[in-house]
Formats: sequence, structure tokens, C-alpha cells
Amino acid sequence: MQPNPDILQYKEYARRYGIAATPESVSRLTQLVARQDSCVDEIVRVIEKDPALTARLLRVANPRAVDESEYTIGTVDEALMRNGIGCALLLAMGTPLSLALVKTFQTMLSLKLEPVDVHELDSLEGEHMRCAIGFAGKVTGHVYLRMSPATAQAIAARILGLDPADFGPDEIRDAAGELLNIMTGNFKSNLCDAGLDCKLEPPKVGMTEDLVTPIEPGSGLERLAFRADHIQIFVEVTANPWSD
Amino acid sequence: MATKILSVDDSRTIRLIVGKAFKPYDVALVEASNGEEGLTVAAREKPDLIILDVTMPVMDGVTMLTKLKEDPALKGIPVIMLTAESGRENVLQIARLGVRDYLVKPFKEDQLIEKAGRCVTLQKRPVVAPA
Repeated sequence: MQPNPDILQYKEYARRYGIAATPESVSRLTQLVARQDSCVDEIVRVIEKDPALTARLLRVANPRAVDESEYTIGTVDEALMRNGIGCALLLAMGTPLSLALVKTFQTMLSLKLEPVDVHELDSLEGEHMRCAIGFAGKVTGHVYLRMSPATAQAIAARILGLDPADFGPDEIRDAAGELLNIMTGNFKSNLCDAGLDCKLEPPKVGMTEDLVTPIEPGSGLERLAFRADHIQIFVEVTANPWSD
Repeated sequence: MATKILSVDDSRTIRLIVGKAFKPYDVALVEASNGEEGLTVAAREKPDLIILDVTMPVMDGVTMLTKLKEDPALKGIPVIMLTAESGRENVLQIARLGVRDYLVKPFKEDQLIEKAGRCVTLQKRPVVAPA
């Protein structure tokens, strides 16, 4: 079979500009989920080959479990049967989001952010910052970033290289919104490359006490958590494939 | 004469980071927060280099780049895209429009300086000795 000339040309430009590729297992999984006629067995095989994807799928499939001993769904096959293929899409989306967040902290904040289980972090209490970005097209959903006011201020200070006394709430909101923009831009690229074209809405940033994440009918939800020094960040992704 | 660079990004955070990156150099930085404003500033200021985001309100970076390349007075200005979007379609479309380079967010200031230095001359600002 002749290689697609667009893909060859993209690879040439990516090499020239130094653009990093998405992990193979994630690209493959997104492509499979994007095809509505994909066989579940094929998706199961791709997920089972990657221990990190398997662990995340089982976490998504057992949302109430505090640890593995409480899992009622124990296999990839069963998780997909019970939760649908949309669950696999969440996995495919969560990986680029997670990689982009960790890389952003490393390159722009000089902080090593560690992905952790949601239950390992103290839950947010009272008013906190919530950044939301919606995406719509062949896949629809939202990505939410939640953090305490102190974390939001610390992030802005590190990104801008300024003392917290030298900037105000506008800069804090803008820095948090840009962080979310960077994360979602990376995962949107992965979705579009797989044929799940979608457009991002502008980020909305505000303070809230509401910890409930709205889930659209037919959508799945994945919760991710990250920690570095005194910084704790919660990420939530909702997604519904083939929504158009 | 200072090298003139136009930074077009709707994020004040990114514009501040770009400003900080070029601070040690003899660079006059001008800014715009969307593509429409970017075209106006580019026509007025004739910058030596444009650093351009993709996703922006009012007019996005791809539209601005297209219009820039259609304008005989502006099409020669080198453009570096600075964006979180590295999808195949985006990169192909932008590269075919004639962008000089592409930097994916998140980025280090050093990377931006290195890429900008390939397009324009960047000279360190003279260090002023304390009186």
C-alpha cells in the first residue's frame, strides 16, 4: 500500500520543526475509537498491551473504588462491555492531557508534576478555581481544571517569574486559562489526527464552591490528579464520541 | 536599531513570557491580542518577525497568516507559530502557507530565542555599569 503523502509530508515538517509525536498506543487507540465499526476485541488488545492504559481504564470503570481491592470490574473486556467504547476514548484523551500538563510544569514552571490517584490528595474545600474548556465536533465534552486559590497563585508566580505581590487576580486567571489551553490544544491535535475533528471553545475561568462536574447524557467522566511540592491539581474530562 | 518583534497572542501570560524571553536582547516588542489587531499592528510597525498563536478570538492565527501572505507589503515578514496545536491538518496547512518555524506550547524561553535567532539578528543589550 502507498503511504499517504500528507502523512509523509507532516512527518517531514514535524521533524523540521521539532514537533514530538503522540505515543503509538494512544494514536492507535484514538484511531480505533474514531471508527464506529471498530471491533471491541481490537480495542481490548491495544489497551491490554499498555499497563498504564489498562490501570486507568479500570479506575474509570470502578469510580467508587478507593483502591484495586474494591474493584467490581476487573478486566479490560468487562470494563468496555459495561461502560461502552466512550470509556476508551477518555483514555485516549487523558494521556495527551496528562503528558501536556506534566510537560508544561516541567518546561514552564520547572516543577516535576507527579500523576497520583485522586484519593491520595486532600479534596478541595470551599471556594476554589475552576477552569473549563469545551470542545465540540465529532466528539463533544469538557475538560476541567480545579485548584485551590493558593495553588493558582503559585502557578501564576512560577509561569510569569514574578513575585505574587507583583500581579493580581487577572494574571492568575489568565495563567490558569493558558495552562488549560496548552493541555487541551495537545489532546485536540490527537483527536483531530484520528479523524475526530473538533473545535475548542475559549476557556472559562472562575471561582466556585461547586464540586459537581456536569456530565452530558451518553458521556463518560475520567478524573486525574497531580501533585508537586505544595501544588495539587485535579483534572476532569467528559467526552461523548460520535456526538454529531 | 533594535530588532522589532510582534507577538500576537490572546493570552497575556504568553505575551509576558515572550517579553521576558527577549528582555536581554536589543528587541522592540510590540503586541496584539488577536489576528485582526495583529494585521493592523503589522501594517503600522513593519516588524522584522511575528510570533503568532493559532486559537484566538476575533481572528485566529491561520486567518491572519493567510491575509499576511496575501499582502505584498507584509508577506516577506518571517512568522513563527507559537501554539499548543500540533495536529497534522494544522501543521500541514500552516507550513504550506509559508511559516518560517513552529514552536509547540509548552515551550522554554531558550527554544523561542533559538528559533527567533534563526530568523532575525538578536544582539544582547549592552550592560549598563552602575554609576
